[in-house]
Amino acid sequence: MFNFKRPRHKLHISDENDLRLSDLKPGEKGRIIEVGGSESFRLRLIEMGLTRDAEISVDKYAPLRDPMELIVKGYHLSLRGMDAQKIAVKRIN
Amino acid sequence: MKFNIAVAGNPNCGKTTIFNALTGAKQRVGNWPGVTVEKKSGHYNYSDTKFDVIDLPGTYSLAAFSAEETVVRQYLENDEANVVVNIIDASNLERNLFLTTQLIELGKPLVIVLNMMDMAREKGLQIDADTLATLLGAPVVPVVGRTGEGIDLLKEKILRVSTEISLKARFIDISYPRDIESEIEKLHLLIQVNDVTDKHSRWTSIKLLEADKQTRDEVRTHNNGADILNQAKVSIDRIEGIFKDTGRAIISHARYGFIQGALRECVVESLVDSVDYSRQIDRVLTNRWLGLPIFGLFMWLMFKATYDLGSIPMDWIDTGLVAFMNFISGLLPESMFASLLVDGVIGGVGAIAVFLPNIFILFFIIALLEDSGYMARVAFIMDRIMHNISLHGKAFIPMIMGFGCNVPAIMGTRILESRRDRILTVLINPFMSCSARLPVYVLVAGAFFPDNAATVIFSLYVLGILAAIGSGKLFSKTILRGMSKPFVLELPPYQRPTLRSLFLHTWERGYLFIQKMGTVILVGSVIIWVLGYFPTEVELDRDYVSERATLTEDYDSQLTDLESKFKSSVEKDRQEYHSEMIAYESSSSYLELDQQFQLLQEALSSERSMELYSLRQQEIGDITEQKWIGRVGKIFEPIVRPLGFTWRESVALITGFVAKEIVVSTYGVLFGVGEDVDEGNQGVISGLRSSGMTPLVALSFLVFTLLYTPCLATVAAIKRETGTWAYTFFSIGYSLALAYTLAFAVTYFGGLFNWLS
Repeated sequence: MFNFKRPRHKLHISDENDLRLSDLKPGEKGRIIEVGGSESFRLRLIEMGLTRDAEISVDKYAPLRDPMELIVKGYHLSLRGMDAQKIAVKRIN
Repeated sequence: MKFNIAVAGNPNCGKTTIFNALTGAKQRVGNWPGVTVEKKSGHYNYSDTKFDVIDLPGTYSLAAFSAEETVVRQYLENDEANVVVNIIDASNLERNLFLTTQLIELGKPLVIVLNMMDMAREKGLQIDADTLATLLGAPVVPVVGRTGEGIDLLKEKILRVSTEISLKARFIDISYPRDIESEIEKLHLLIQVNDVTDKHSRWTSIKLLEADKQTRDEVRTHNNGADILNQAKVSIDRIEGIFKDTGRAIISHARYGFIQGALRECVVESLVDSVDYSRQIDRVLTNRWLGLPIFGLFMWLMFKATYDLGSIPMDWIDTGLVAFMNFISGLLPESMFASLLVDGVIGGVGAIAVFLPNIFILFFIIALLEDSGYMARVAFIMDRIMHNISLHGKAFIPMIMGFGCNVPAIMGTRILESRRDRILTVLINPFMSCSARLPVYVLVAGAFFPDNAATVIFSLYVLGILAAIGSGKLFSKTILRGMSKPFVLELPPYQRPTLRSLFLHTWERGYLFIQKMGTVILVGSVIIWVLGYFPTEVELDRDYVSERATLTEDYDSQLTDLESKFKSSVEKDRQEYHSEMIAYESSSSYLELDQQFQLLQEALSSERSMELYSLRQQEIGDITEQKWIGRVGKIFEPIVRPLGFTWRESVALITGFVAKEIVVSTYGVLFGVGEDVDEGNQGVISGLRSSGMTPLVALSFLVFTLLYTPCLATVAAIKRETGTWAYTFFSIGYSLALAYTLAFAVTYFGGLFNWLS
């Protein structure tokens, strides 16, 4: 009847302060602009608290450099670099 | 009076601790119908009222992305539960409340539990539970699950919400921005007008705005379902136009908006100088340099504990079992029934019971790793490696445990959340060479590659790992494609596990092992026994009875000869003896003769018993060849002949299906050395060498042993964990095919170049 399938969400990175979450170094903080990727991936992360304007910081990288450990909404979350690439953030201090 | 209580909450919120505190040890573990998601239920009584409690799987949402979420949603949407108890980690309120907003919309009587209040206090969070209760429209009970603080109050609240009508009614709605609210209103009205039976009409409306597939399928069956869906389409277009996002993302953001508003009113965050202990611990445990070595050390300790510590009670069980078997066979007259009971049932099931200590110790350690929070770190540390075969980092644990025994390893795949990951890990696990295969390697490699045995055995382990990785890649690109989920893993704070929950977890899993393995192993053992027992009368080419008689006669006459020789020499010697000081019987020359005689006599009689034993074993070997098991071996011989195997290898491999180490004792029987052999037995080694087996075929046989169909207990575990016969038979067929192909490759290409012939 209807087609509810949606195309993949493309990231818009325009501002030069805007970068991908995967580009943040350990100890750096960002504010989420938007989460891209497939619809189910986006929703999963939004449900886990990666909402627009939420503060997110990179705590560290795993011993083999991937995945990364993040702190968001007061808890620790781990994502792979390839997935963190799909999240646009604004660096904050 | 009886009420059904469902306990819901995020993973790591301490849900199971609360469930345990409510129900005590009166729990049952099963599976939700159709899926391998654990279903835990229990019950308790409170002021003359019975409460049946279901521990729902931990989920972050009711979006139905995963099997767990689907289970929770289905259970809550049908009306089985009278009250939903929502456990919330008070130290992680905002994200935990996301699920709560959905539970509120489902409209069930709700009791909210603020768990881990102690940790929230440490974090400097002051939570006004009464205000939160008003905002959420449900009673809020602060507890500390680990100490049991607040559990009685919780039981009281559950009772009141179950029995008092006024508390059941829900007055609070999660409020959305006006543009969304007006669309919800439109849909809500339309649904109410068309279908008065829908009790969750607001929930349905919101789910329609989220374009939830399951809800749309349901609405389609409503009166005027098409109208409602049309309105949903219009509404979604409208809000998507306004908010520039998808319906579901808009709703999720709005839920967090509501939560943030609520938290502003009831949480005061004081800037205490708190120490984040978890973070401090992780500075070491997931450290860039120390993380991997420490993990390696933990793995080594786990291995050590499982197999070394386990070997002590293992010996007791073994000794007890042998004594028990002797006792029973002493009690019963020799008969078919006695053999079935002792050799078939007790022997077969006992062979598996011996592994119980290992399995319980392993499950205890896994429970320790899980309850403490370290398991999530394992996933974090190992994900980079496991990602290569498109698996989750946690899958590393069952893989490494496979080196010990595949059975607990496969049961250990329960720590993985996605069914696809579980199945993939289960399917490749048997290629990790378990300890039961080692005796076979030692025997065969020792016989044919005495100088390079260690290298050969090590190569087999490597080949197993390569087979696992290769098959993992193959499966993830074919039969298990596209089901992979992104790696989104919470690293929860470390917790000190309670002994009670450790024992409960260990027992739950161990009990499943006893229950399921017991039945399958029982049947399998009886089948192997039947194959080895029938037909009871066999015709042999050699007349063992007369051979034995000849042999005995022969030795008897040799012994008599020896004795008469001794007597005559003594007589001769006595005549030459002249001393009168000492009696002849005490003279040195007599003693010398006597000693010589004794030695010869002993040598002769031990030679006799050796020969008789060997004859008896040859007879057993011949008899085995005539039994069904030997005939089956003969039937399969043409199939394995291209690999260079004879009927003996065929029988050995078939019996190895019960347990791989049986291959060694089967060879013992076939080469007439006896069942009771170990891998260092010279008889079997010389038997193997003289059987015409070349080193090349031996290598091929080793490759086959490594890779072919996992043992019966493993098959049972595969069935149990995948839940379907399809994957079980696939696993059997695939490993047989792989073993055959690679073993054939070894024999064929080795033969081409005349290697090791």
